[in-house]
Amino acid sequence: MLAEFKLKTFRSLVYSATKEELIWMNGFLSGLLQEEKTILSRVNGQSSALSGCTVVYGTETGNSKKVAVDFSNRLKKQGIQSKIKSLDQYRLADLSKESNLLVVMSTQGDGEPPAAAKKFYDYIHQNEIALNHLKYGVFALGDSAYPLFCKAGEDVDNRLSQLGAQRIIPVRKSDVDFEDDASAWIDELVNNAINSEENNVSANAVAVKVSENVKPAKPGKKIYEGIIAAKINLNDRCSNKETWHIEIAAEEAISYQPGDAIGIVAKNNQATVNKIFELLQLTGDEELLYKNETYKASKLFIEKIALQYLPARVVQLYAKMVEKEIPSIRMDLAELLRIYPADVKLDVQQLVHVLTPVIPRLYSVSSSPAAHGENEIHLTVARDTFSVDGHLRYGLCSDYLSVLKEGMPIQFYIQKNSAFKLPAAHNDIIMIGPGTGIAPFRSFLSERDAQSATGRNWLFFGEQHFVSDFLYQTEIQSFFETGTLTKLNTAFSRDQDEKVYVQHRMQQHAEELFEWIENGANIFISGTKDPMSVDVEQILIKIIAGQKNTDEQSAAAYLSALKESGRYHKDVY
Amino acid sequence: MSESPVERIKKASDGLRGTLNESLLDEHTGAIREDDQTLIKFHGMYMQDDRDRREERAEKKLERLYSFMLRLRLPGGFLTAKQWIALHNITGEHTTGVIKITSRQTVQLHGILKSHLKPTISAFNKISLDSIAACGDVNRNVTVTAHSKVSPVYEEIFSYADKISAHLLPKTRAWYEVWLDEEKLAEINEEDPLYEDRYLPRKFKIAIAVPPYNDVDVFTNDVGLIAIIEKDKLTGFNVTAGGGLGTTHGNAETYPRLATLLGFINKDNVLKTVYEIATVQRDYGNRSDRKLSRLKYTIDRLGVDAFKTELEKRIGFKLQPPKHAELIHRNDEYGWHKNHEGKWYYTVFVESGRILDDENVHLKSAFLEIAKTGKASFRFTCNQNIIVADIAEEDKKPFENILNKYGIIAHTENASALRKQSMACVAFNTCPLALAEGQRYLPQLITKIETLLEKHQLKDEGIIIRMTGCPNGCARPFIAEIGFVGTAYGRYNMHLGANAAGTRLSKLYKENLNEEEILDELNSLLKLYAAKRTAKEAFGDFVVREKIV
Ligand code: SRM
Ligand SMILES: Cc1cc2nc3c(=O)[nH]c(=O)nc-3n(C[C@H](O)[C@H](O)[C@H](O)COP(=O)(O)OP(=O)(O)OC[C@H]3O[C@@H](n4cnc5c(N)ncnc54)[C@H](O)[C@@H]3O)c2cc1C
Ligand SMILES: Cc1cc2nc3c(=O)[nH]c(=O)nc-3n(C[C@H](O)[C@H](O)[C@H](O)COP(=O)(O)O)c2cc1C
Ligand code: SF4
Repeated sequence: MLAEFKLKTFRSLVYSATKEELIWMNGFLSGLLQEEKTILSRVNGQSSALSGCTVVYGTETGNSKKVAVDFSNRLKKQGIQSKIKSLDQYRLADLSKESNLLVVMSTQGDGEPPAAAKKFYDYIHQNEIALNHLKYGVFALGDSAYPLFCKAGEDVDNRLSQLGAQRIIPVRKSDVDFEDDASAWIDELVNNAINSEENNVSANAVAVKVSENVKPAKPGKKIYEGIIAAKINLNDRCSNKETWHIEIAAEEAISYQPGDAIGIVAKNNQATVNKIFELLQLTGDEELLYKNETYKASKLFIEKIALQYLPARVVQLYAKMVEKEIPSIRMDLAELLRIYPADVKLDVQQLVHVLTPVIPRLYSVSSSPAAHGENEIHLTVARDTFSVDGHLRYGLCSDYLSVLKEGMPIQFYIQKNSAFKLPAAHNDIIMIGPGTGIAPFRSFLSERDAQSATGRNWLFFGEQHFVSDFLYQTEIQSFFETGTLTKLNTAFSRDQDEKVYVQHRMQQHAEELFEWIENGANIFISGTKDPMSVDVEQILIKIIAGQKNTDEQSAAAYLSALKESGRYHKDVY
Repeated sequence: MSESPVERIKKASDGLRGTLNESLLDEHTGAIREDDQTLIKFHGMYMQDDRDRREERAEKKLERLYSFMLRLRLPGGFLTAKQWIALHNITGEHTTGVIKITSRQTVQLHGILKSHLKPTISAFNKISLDSIAACGDVNRNVTVTAHSKVSPVYEEIFSYADKISAHLLPKTRAWYEVWLDEEKLAEINEEDPLYEDRYLPRKFKIAIAVPPYNDVDVFTNDVGLIAIIEKDKLTGFNVTAGGGLGTTHGNAETYPRLATLLGFINKDNVLKTVYEIATVQRDYGNRSDRKLSRLKYTIDRLGVDAFKTELEKRIGFKLQPPKHAELIHRNDEYGWHKNHEGKWYYTVFVESGRILDDENVHLKSAFLEIAKTGKASFRFTCNQNIIVADIAEEDKKPFENILNKYGIIAHTENASALRKQSMACVAFNTCPLALAEGQRYLPQLITKIETLLEKHQLKDEGIIIRMTGCPNGCARPFIAEIGFVGTAYGRYNMHLGANAAGTRLSKLYKENLNEEEILDELNSLLKLYAAKRTAKEAFGDFVVREKIV
């Protein structure tokens, strides 16, 4: 009874569908029979508009992946075949063969694509590929607190259209609370697709339906007001480190999960601001406009704009302003004004316009809602020290947090990290978290302890000295003694002549470690990206190769298989 | 009454091995497992923690600052120059840096982290020093009079310290296996006829005194040997038994006791006799209440005669009546002295036995420089001092220069007689049993007492003052002319009336005094003493004669 092409589509749809999808379709169809016929035309409208769609994502902390997975499921529900791929797995050659492509991508660094998307990003920017036959849409994740909001996603969107591809929906720049945005966007996409095949008659009907589906995305992100309830330097006297355990209490319930991070926008320190005011001959009472709001200069410089280590980009904007040759490097504003003063009196308002806002810093949450309650959240902050021509300097945000006093107010938001979540209670986990990498694992262990999860837990911790740097030692000991922590290995690099790090301990326990992995354990790495996470990953590959006695390629493949199946997680910085 | 937990731990320890190996591998803590904390004492070590740092570390979520104190087994307290150099280096590398001379003629090193224990011990092993049985329910470091100038037979007497120590060593190889990773050898027979698997009920101490010196406080030891020298020959020893000072506040059943003089034995019978005294204590000692388990209580329970009979049964001969031997004084003879062979000795005053370099006195540097010449040896005294020994005539001058260079001679000569006869125990911050300060406080108190002496024109009086942070009596305060025994932080019981020779115990005079009260009491006592003393009468004798105690 079905016409040829309908039958084809119907078959392809039905045979490609999973059991759940069939059940769903069954319900959907019977539902449709109740509705007026204009809607019936939707079904074929869709399939022809978006038959076979590839959803690719580029993610750092898993948010984009989460969105991409939702998209793909949503499309399947609409009976549209869809493949999903992480951009680091995506065969670039396939791009020219795609007909429908959805790109979900976050922005990292200072407006850069996530590491996983770099290959793809460069490929499309460096090559002239003809993509005229390609229909695409870009959903960009970002954080409006960053000067280059969703830059990477935007770039991809522009470039694809430059290459001749046809944009079937405008790029959506989505902020930290991206969920609602995402579902609105995909709804819109699906319905537009239908629209494109619709005759005007049914248009309104659809329009109605669409507007029902679209929840208006609320702008910005949830900012919590808290106070510093407790603050402890976890390092003992005579340590080279300064690591602060900070407990923040909030009136309202804080919604977060172990593995999430908290975002904080630091205030600049008064001394720096004073220096700059001197150079600019400001009193602080001046009214200045910034991002369509007027602030007192004092408030603006303390709370809103970044003064330390300005991006080269901004330095160059200043150079243009004062018409000077300035090397394209990062610099503190104070230095910039001191070394390259304007010849004519500088228009401060103009200067302020080129300056970028203080970007938030993220800190892994080290508490657990189950263990510490929902009105409290903990973080573990290493005071970041470095030296600039011989002078000891502190990192902006870690310094801000290090000097905060108990009782002081603080603002923060929750940065979800869907790529770093505890598995089901019965699964084993291996946690590798030297230094402040311990933070999310204190959260994990507290959570598992509070919920008496049955899965085994193995922790690798490392620092410089056992006596002074064993962060959360007594807490870890009680987890160990009560059995919540099944195994514990520590590496203190400077307690003996030869340096010992967590990866050495892992190697010493290679056989058992591999046993755990083979038994389905999830692996988590947290802490500094380089060199720690790099070395740890290399050792993991060595261990796998050694235990399976294969070469390192296949060991690496084994590891990325773990990653794909969501059993290998990194939260590194 | 049931056996004390320590008895179970000893029996279950597989020759003092326990789970020490596992404890050393525990990565989550700087401590060792509970039973091992008892066993490690038998290996010459104590687990301690820095009591000054407890609150602060707890706040930081860090465990207590655990470390270990190591006590060397050093019969007679003798070190060669080569050994001194090694000791100096080990101390610098693995410990707080202070070499602490103990009131039993050996040294303790504090603050050794668990991860440093093996390196430390193997370093000592390389210079053939060990810490076996320096603590625990076994025979402890055997002490002997340090004043080697006394007579030609000194070397012979001295050699008994070593012989006795070796004879009473536990047979287990545990120390070598745990600390030096020695292979466990099946063929070695660890059968221990003396200690069996239960060891002694309590610590067991032996001292050898060479009259007229009683620097070892022979009567405060479980077993005392008083050398009998006739016609310049060592014929044998008067044997004493049942001395001990440890008491417990508020436990009336505990008391300090001077050893009972049992009789004389020929020198060939020494080993046998001390050995069998130990076996009697092993079989009859109290194993349920460790507060009442020292030999002194065993003897009082059995009665001296019954004890003696049992001993004679075991040694197979009768003790001869004691020979005449006169013990006169306990203080060290500071400065230069020459012995019968013409060798020179310099006895250095080391306040509280703490060898370190401070602003004005550089003891550590001095002794290192001396040791490096290879031309002297070192002897510790039971007054926590050190003797630079065996110096040839021609080397005396150069050594004198070194001692001057580092302020040692000035330090020794300028210290008042009072200070030079005083002694304090370790107490805070390492001793877990301390109720009050010891060596960290006595020096200040002495300074204040010196002013009192001046005030009463007693400036040059050497009164034996000893202070301990608790009633265990580690600096032997119950046999001092003035003894301070800690009761609570900043408070001390005051004991008076022992004699110079150390043959009479002191008596409790006042309880729970703080510094101000102590100084008031002393002020009036010294006033009285200055007024009413008979010529040359010692303070201890004075307070007894005046029935002040
Ligand atoms: C280092 C030393 C004091 C000093 O400043 O010199 C010392 C230090 C300690 N003594 Fe002692 N005793 C020291 C000589 C003494 C003496 C004096 C003597 O033996 O001539 C006595 C009194 C005589 C006696 O044994 O009765 C003495 C009676 C005790 C006692 C009480 C024993 C008893 O029978 O009640 C204890 C507590 C115990 O054993 O339970 C004790 C326990 C301790 C401990 C190990 C505390 C402990 O058990 O954890 C102290 C270690 C403190 C530290 O941090 O170093 N120490 N102790 C002396 C080391 C001697 C050696 O080299 O072996
Ligand atoms: C997901 C995530 C989780 C994290 N979790 C934690 C955590 O749990 N605990 C934690 O301590 N950190 C964590 N971090 C790191 C943290 O976000 C910050 O990066 C870190 O605290 C440093 O920020 P800062 O503002 O103190 O230093 P910044 O001011 O950002 O400086 C950082 C670096 O920039 C350079 N620099 C800055 N100013 C100058 C200058 N004037 N001249 C020359 N060089 C300069 C220096 O190398 C300095 O080290 C996490 C990061 C991420 C992304
Ligand atoms: C180190 C760092 C740098 C970032 N830089 C930017 C940026 O320049 N612009 C932006 O819009 N968002 C930026 N973000 C925010 C992320 O894009 C945002 O958290 C997003 O949800 C991450 O999604 P993902 O988990 O898929 O990577 C940054 C985040 C981090 C941790
Ligand atoms: S006397 Fe008490 S306080 Fe002093 S060292 Fe001995 S046990 Fe410790």
